[in-house]
Amino acid sequence: MYNKKTGIVGIIITIIILILLVFLSNISIEKLSAVENIFSSIIMPVQNGLTYLKNKISGNDEFFSNISTLKQENEQLKNQNAQLEQSLREFEIIKSENDTLKEYLNLTEKYSNYTTKAAYIINKDLGNYSNIFVINIGKDDGIDVNMTVISEKGLVGHVISVTNSTAKVQTIIDTSSSLSATMSTSRDSLICKGTLEDKYCLRATYIPTSANIIQGDKIETSGMGGIYPKGILVGTIKSVINTKNITDRYAIIEPAVDFEKIETVLVITK
Amino acid sequence: MKRVLIVISMIILFFIIYFLQANFFTWFTIAGVYPNLFVIMALFVGLFMSKSTGIPLMLFLGICLDFFIGKKVGLSAIMLSAIVIIGGLLAKNFSKDSRITIILMTIAATVIYEIGFYILNIMLLGTAIEIVPFAKILLVEILYNVILTIIFYPLIQKVGYYIEEAFKGTKILTRYF
Repeated sequence: MYNKKTGIVGIIITIIILILLVFLSNISIEKLSAVENIFSSIIMPVQNGLTYLKNKISGNDEFFSNISTLKQENEQLKNQNAQLEQSLREFEIIKSENDTLKEYLNLTEKYSNYTTKAAYIINKDLGNYSNIFVINIGKDDGIDVNMTVISEKGLVGHVISVTNSTAKVQTIIDTSSSLSATMSTSRDSLICKGTLEDKYCLRATYIPTSANIIQGDKIETSGMGGIYPKGILVGTIKSVINTKNITDRYAIIEPAVDFEKIETVLVITK
Repeated sequence: MKRVLIVISMIILFFIIYFLQANFFTWFTIAGVYPNLFVIMALFVGLFMSKSTGIPLMLFLGICLDFFIGKKVGLSAIMLSAIVIIGGLLAKNFSKDSRITIILMTIAATVIYEIGFYILNIMLLGTAIEIVPFAKILLVEILYNVILTIIFYPLIQKVGYYIEEAFKGTKILTRYF
């Protein structure tokens, strides 16, 4: 009996629920916003918190998964940076060269102030330890001892003895030769001497400890010493040899003049 | 007369060597190093000529060389004369018939000449002291001089004995009597 009654009540409740569902499903959602708000106010704070946590975790996960990509990007950026630094260095060198070329232009004008006499080399040194040569002009042409000898490329040397028709020239690469010079960019002074290490190169010593020596920097005469006029190109810095003691460091200078092939020179007479 | 002709021949030989050294040997270098034929000539003079003729001759030729291409007059003259004296001493004590002895004499003469010349340059002209590069050049120069001595040895010996006979006469080796 009891079971029969319960079954009837259950059927009635189910019918009522179904009727309510039919009724609710036919109402538009806008008309239910109040109810939705109630639900939302209960659910959304929790949902927000959960979403925040989820985003955080998924973000971290992305960070870890992208490490390799970031590394690649870092490498690329490093390369770009190195390239930019290289470009900057090249730019600085070009700028320095530009300045030097401008100076040479001025120097050519400066040479025009000197009275020069052209001469041919008629005899070269016979020894392995010195570098001097004889030119075909002498006292009769107004040549005198200690006159500076240059070529179109730079400094050659100076006259050490003179006869009526010839003159002996000691080149700057001779092992007994010594000249005071300056670096064209930093204006630091140094002493250039001929060396046996490399017959056609110069050794620059007495470099100031604070001096910044740049490979490829131009070296020119300082005007001190009373023989060579100021501003004549001597050569370029080929390499810098650093020693334990910074005061002993020296540089190898490649002369501007090719002493192996030199045939004609100019003697500055005035 | 014979002696005068020999001295004139030696002066001509000096000029031939000078032009060879100045032109020919600039194309034929070993590692950029020239030989020094003047040393070989001075040794030759010392070995086969008398001191009284050899020393003034090389002194004169040395001064000529200094005037032609030297930095200071007298340096080559002093050193070439020294080689003549050393050559005379070596001739007294060693046989000139052996090729090996002549080669060793050439080595000694080259070493003495170049070291002496270098020291004089350092003292008088302020040349920088660079022992290692100097030794390297000297070794190559010795090698070159030795090669030339080997090549010219038959000629050196033949002409040498002819000159020796003219200046010193044929000596009787009393030891063997």
